Amino acid sequence: MTQESQSALTPEVSAMIGVSGDVVEAWGEVDGEYLRRFTQAVMDPDPRYWDKEFAESTHYGEIITPPIMVSYLASRIRPDQDDPVTRAFEENPESDGIGSIERPGELPPVPTNLVRVLNAGNELEIYKYPSIGDKVFFQNRYSDIRERVGRDGRAFLIITRETTYTNQKDELLCITRASTIRR
Amino acid sequence: MSLPLEELLKLEAEEILAHNERPKADDLRNKQQIYYDDVEEGMELPKYIYNPTPTHLFRWSAAIENFHRIHYDLDFGLNHDRNPSILVHGSWKQSVVPQYLKDWTLPKGWPWKAQFEHRAMLVPGDILIMWGRVTSKYEKGQMGFVELEIGMKTHDGIESMPGTATVVLPLRGGPDIPYPFVPPAD
Repeated sequence: MTQESQSALTPEVSAMIGVSGDVVEAWGEVDGEYLRRFTQAVMDPDPRYWDKEFAESTHYGEIITPPIMVSYLASRIRPDQDDPVTRAFEENPESDGIGSIERPGELPPVPTNLVRVLNAGNELEIYKYPSIGDKVFFQNRYSDIRERVGRDGRAFLIITRETTYTNQKDELLCITRASTIRR
Repeated sequence: MSLPLEELLKLEAEEILAHNERPKADDLRNKQQIYYDDVEEGMELPKYIYNPTPTHLFRWSAAIENFHRIHYDLDFGLNHDRNPSILVHGSWKQSVVPQYLKDWTLPKGWPWKAQFEHRAMLVPGDILIMWGRVTSKYEKGQMGFVELEIGMKTHDGIESMPGTATVVLPLRGGPDIPYPFVPPAD
């Protein structure tokens, strides 16, 4: 069998489909100041984010927050861990700024020799806007791993990591899926 | 007057900026409901036009605590990663999508699903056009489901984020869309 025709979807890789991480509580809670910075950065002036009286009169009955904001809440660096940014540059002065940052709830790596990583796309499913004061819980899972063959005849993988976000009442907030190509 | 996407892309970059339809706070406060009954295949959504600067990129990096240097360190981007400039974040584009769908479905519709790919490297100086177009619609469980083609094009017509979305609109005279959203059973 030539290198070009070797399958990348080995039994060990297939076995990762469905593997879940722990349910992790994100550091902190959904708060108005983070909401202000986030919505200004995405350039969304919706008064449902900041005018309490108006927000309470809407379909949602309260101040709302952008659904995807919780994904960045979940990736916060906890203050009770060593500063990973400083460590990254101590280990490698040419660090890209993210290489050594450990995130809670990460999944075990997919056992493949394909090391080049490309962003293949994203999916969002939205069910409820997080409320101010919500604690956010999240869980990662490999929801799908597929094999494709490139124009050069070499097999590559499309790995989809699904993350489910809930709040302290176990209400489903949103589900995100991020797919990466491994060549 | 809202220009069709095809016509917008015939304009010079500076002229495109004049056709920005991003709503102000009061527009969103007073948004009138679009009902399922009013939607037709081929209908275009308003175009949100952005002109991201290095400062916008830095503000986004800071807001979401993304320390990747390709987004704010020009020397690193040019000389280490060989990028054409600092790069607009995929995460920012991803965050515009639910905002865009929310705004269109306000005040009582629901931006349920979206999927999209990231293509092309976007840099400060690119004029970016968030766009959407109705591709089909169907009723289910007394709710109106609308399928959209969405994307974010550059001023020279490069599609950087091809995708699709499903939003839910109330039927004229029908019940409110449930909140939190519960999709009807298959």
